[in-house]
Amino acid sequence: MSFLRIENLNICLKEFHLKNISFDMEAGDYLTIIGPTGAGKTILLESIIGFWKINQGHIFIDNVEITNDLPEDRQMGIVYQDYALFPHFTVSQNIAYGLKKKDRKADESQVTEIATSLQIDHLLHRKPGTLSGGEKQRTALARALIVAPKLLLMDEPFSALDPKTRRTTRQLLKSAIEKNGTTVIHITHDLEDAWSMANKTAFFKEGNLLQFGPLEDIFFRPNSGFIADFVGASIFEGQVQERLNGNSIINCNGFSLTSLDTAEVGKKVQVAVRPESIIVSRNQPSSDISAQNILKTELSGIVDEGRSCLLDLQINGSCINGLVAKNTVSRMNLSIGDTLFAIIKSANVRII
Amino acid sequence: MEKMGIRTVRKINFFKAGMIFITLIITALLVLAILSLFLVPDPVDVWNNLWSEEMIFSMKFSLITGLISTLLVMVVALPIAYTLSRFQFKGIGFVKTIIDLPVAFPELVLGLCLLLLFGNTPVGKFLKLIGLDFVFTQAGVVAAQFFTALPYACRILKSTFDYIDPRLEFVSRSLGYSQRETFINISLPLARSGILASVVIAFARCIGTFGTVLILAGGTFMKTEVLPITLYLNISYGNMGMALTSGIVLMVISFFAIYIFEKAEVSL
Repeated sequence: MSFLRIENLNICLKEFHLKNISFDMEAGDYLTIIGPTGAGKTILLESIIGFWKINQGHIFIDNVEITNDLPEDRQMGIVYQDYALFPHFTVSQNIAYGLKKKDRKADESQVTEIATSLQIDHLLHRKPGTLSGGEKQRTALARALIVAPKLLLMDEPFSALDPKTRRTTRQLLKSAIEKNGTTVIHITHDLEDAWSMANKTAFFKEGNLLQFGPLEDIFFRPNSGFIADFVGASIFEGQVQERLNGNSIINCNGFSLTSLDTAEVGKKVQVAVRPESIIVSRNQPSSDISAQNILKTELSGIVDEGRSCLLDLQINGSCINGLVAKNTVSRMNLSIGDTLFAIIKSANVRII
Repeated sequence: MEKMGIRTVRKINFFKAGMIFITLIITALLVLAILSLFLVPDPVDVWNNLWSEEMIFSMKFSLITGLISTLLVMVVALPIAYTLSRFQFKGIGFVKTIIDLPVAFPELVLGLCLLLLFGNTPVGKFLKLIGLDFVFTQAGVVAAQFFTALPYACRILKSTFDYIDPRLEFVSRSLGYSQRETFINISLPLARSGILASVVIAFARCIGTFGTVLILAGGTFMKTEVLPITLYLNISYGNMGMALTSGIVLMVISFFAIYIFEKAEVSL
């Protein structure tokens, strides 16, 4: 039995429409919602919590319809990107605000306990205006979590944080929600959030839910070129040339790719390859290697992405991206114009 | 080697200079106009007029009606401003225009409209029936002040509520508080500077209202005589001393009102 069920949800807000959204979540699920700006992600979140009028469709929690319930009766928490802390309250008052409504006799120990777990116990007397971004975000999380919401909704909660604070806050949040078994819906633009936190992912575009399912499906089995491109995969147009030993051989503009996925011979397809699925080598591997795709490429760009580097590899006018550790670039002494062999297992070549 | 001197010619920014010049000229004219009110009359004469029976009545009456009107304005303006800022309904554009309209048309016209409404119309007759007679009465002064000051308070409060992030209210509601509790706990405390500003401006408008009061409540000596009416009546009689004294009192009240408003606006 699903915990949250969204059925055929339609919302019209002036120019924007959220169309026929349906999905289910089990209790304890962590769903990340990704998609380009203007996809309707925030509207969906605010509709689930009851801030927007639903034109059509139903929302159920534990099989009880809550579509027309007031936000204050839904027992959901929300955390925004810019924290939305009450500026006239101290950190302690912010955290205790919801708790006092739930239980008038609640004592301060609960506030101190959650503040300690989120490492903000030394800030309880301070006003939000004097806190750093990370401290504000942890205060907002504490305020939402202290009332043990049935469902926690988060709208890009880490996007304003620096990478180090983001990692710390992510860990603290993970511990807090695992402790309570909280079900979470989390909007993010940072795919690392999805990888490190979620077990399900939904992809939205222009008010439509394009794909919903396990995280791996979105990343490794995207159902459209748009999603594949968005999640960082290299996309190639091609035509299935033949089926050989259970593999599909796809001719992509002058080079061939072998995929484990099945497709009809002659069918025009799109093929997605994730950057982290690619191994690069200066020398052509011997023929007894297990990987079936060995492509001769020319290195045309190296993009520093912090802990890793993205390599632009040119092959017959197409570009394929490969992700390598930062020290690999210096270790292999890579420079623009080098000839490199891209090695890809056929299981990592996905037909969309 | 002879030391070379380099002269840099600083270009005059005519746009900036022109803007500042216009601002300073008008400020100087206003300062002169204000000062003339304080410098022209004899201070002893002003002091004596200040304690005259008519002036004491006028000041007391202005203060009492001004306070009552301001209180009534705030009681009504807060819900109106919150409604216009937060809620969407059919005809909201029309409502906004109507609420703002008295700012745009002359006080005399507003007074005339109110005189007709509270006169022999069914509304006026009903109000008289329940003991509310606004035509040429002291209650009429409050009504005139109320309708003159209301749009100003609504505008300031609406801007204040617009400025408050509605997501703060969303969060409060998600934490179990009703819309009314959220308004009291979150919206009102965050709007305190705007509330103070609108109280001050509403009070200043109430104290300074002339045309509406004159038409609806009449300018009756020692009955409906607020400070602007004192000024008007005494100018009519040729009693410049009393007229100037009421002008000075009004100016002092306005000065403090604007000063507090500016302070409140800074802390918004």
